[in-house]
Amino acid sequence: MANVLKTTTGLTGLAVSQNPHHTLGVLYSKILRALQKIPQDAAYRKYTEEIINERANVVKNTPNIGEIEKKIGCGQVEELIIQAENELILARKMITWAPWNSLIQKPTVDQWAWPPAKPAN
Amino acid sequence: MSSLLRKLTHLSKLSVNNNYHGIAGVCHKFMSTEPVKETRPTVRKIDHGALDKLKDFGKYVAECLPKYVQKVQIAAGDELEILIAPEGVLPVLQFLKDHHNAQFASLVDIAGMDVPSRENRFEIIYNLLSLRYNSRCRVKTYTDELTPIDSACEIYKAANWYEREIWDMYGVFFANHPDLRRILTDYGFEGHPFRKDFPLSGYVEVRYDDEKKRVVVEPLELAQEFRKFDLSAPWEQFPNFRNANPVAEDVDIKQEK
Repeated sequence: MANVLKTTTGLTGLAVSQNPHHTLGVLYSKILRALQKIPQDAAYRKYTEEIINERANVVKNTPNIGEIEKKIGCGQVEELIIQAENELILARKMITWAPWNSLIQKPTVDQWAWPPAKPAN
Repeated sequence: MSSLLRKLTHLSKLSVNNNYHGIAGVCHKFMSTEPVKETRPTVRKIDHGALDKLKDFGKYVAECLPKYVQKVQIAAGDELEILIAPEGVLPVLQFLKDHHNAQFASLVDIAGMDVPSRENRFEIIYNLLSLRYNSRCRVKTYTDELTPIDSACEIYKAANWYEREIWDMYGVFFANHPDLRRILTDYGFEGHPFRKDFPLSGYVEVRYDDEKKRVVVEPLELAQEFRKFDLSAPWEQFPNFRNANPVAEDVDIKQEK
């Protein structure tokens, strides 16, 4: 009943979601599918899977929307949808960037030394 | 949720309460593991609970993006700085913006810095703000006069004018910028005024010509040669700061593999 009673999110440009359980479920499964393409031992995959599984469990086991928001504690359910959309875009881009590889370019010795006249130890 | 930054906000509230019990903030003496108590009322107190969470977050970013993160440090006592390779501008910013545990959705500013003695003389500095976790961080990268940096416009709309400003002031080229023009200097201006080798007086001077009844631009003519004063004194200027705290504290990001 909660989604029927809620008329606004109070945030400009953010409409009330009609069926957040469905939307979030689809998004989370999409993210997990995208993460499958990332190597198993990559830290990004490990941590993101952890977050997504936790949130997906909460969404699956909690019928009340207010309850979901309280349990996840990261804003309204509409904001959770935006966060999931962002994570999905990021996960897909991560596959092409492959940031779990070793360092692409070492800095020169004095690059991050400050004050600049003093040589780095 | 087991979010690093989420815990951060809780902790900062806790330590505020602690202040009322007489445990005032603590000084940033990095050498000692035990933080020194700061009692001077005019010195900003550092929230060590929040600082530890920020360090953890720095390690987290370095672990997730080992390809790009060169160094993580805490500057000015409690400001997280992530130092990255120039190839990683887009991935790192996208990660910080879109990842669940980061959500740095707001680009506060892009700054530039010129250190002519370095091989890559320009530093580009992105200041980010996470409204969700009430937290800030700084991403630094570097380039030289010729190497372009990827434009962050696709990720942050706000980057557009900031990058134009960097281009105008330092002459750092941003690849794939939608509209890279000068933004601050006058029409027909030549050079990049924030470079250290740009003369203090500029190259041209502008004055109103009474005969031509208009403003004319002429090459600069100094009535007197630029004088150089030797201002260094024989004694030490700031002996109290001889052993001052280092400007930045490294956060260990070594991977055990």
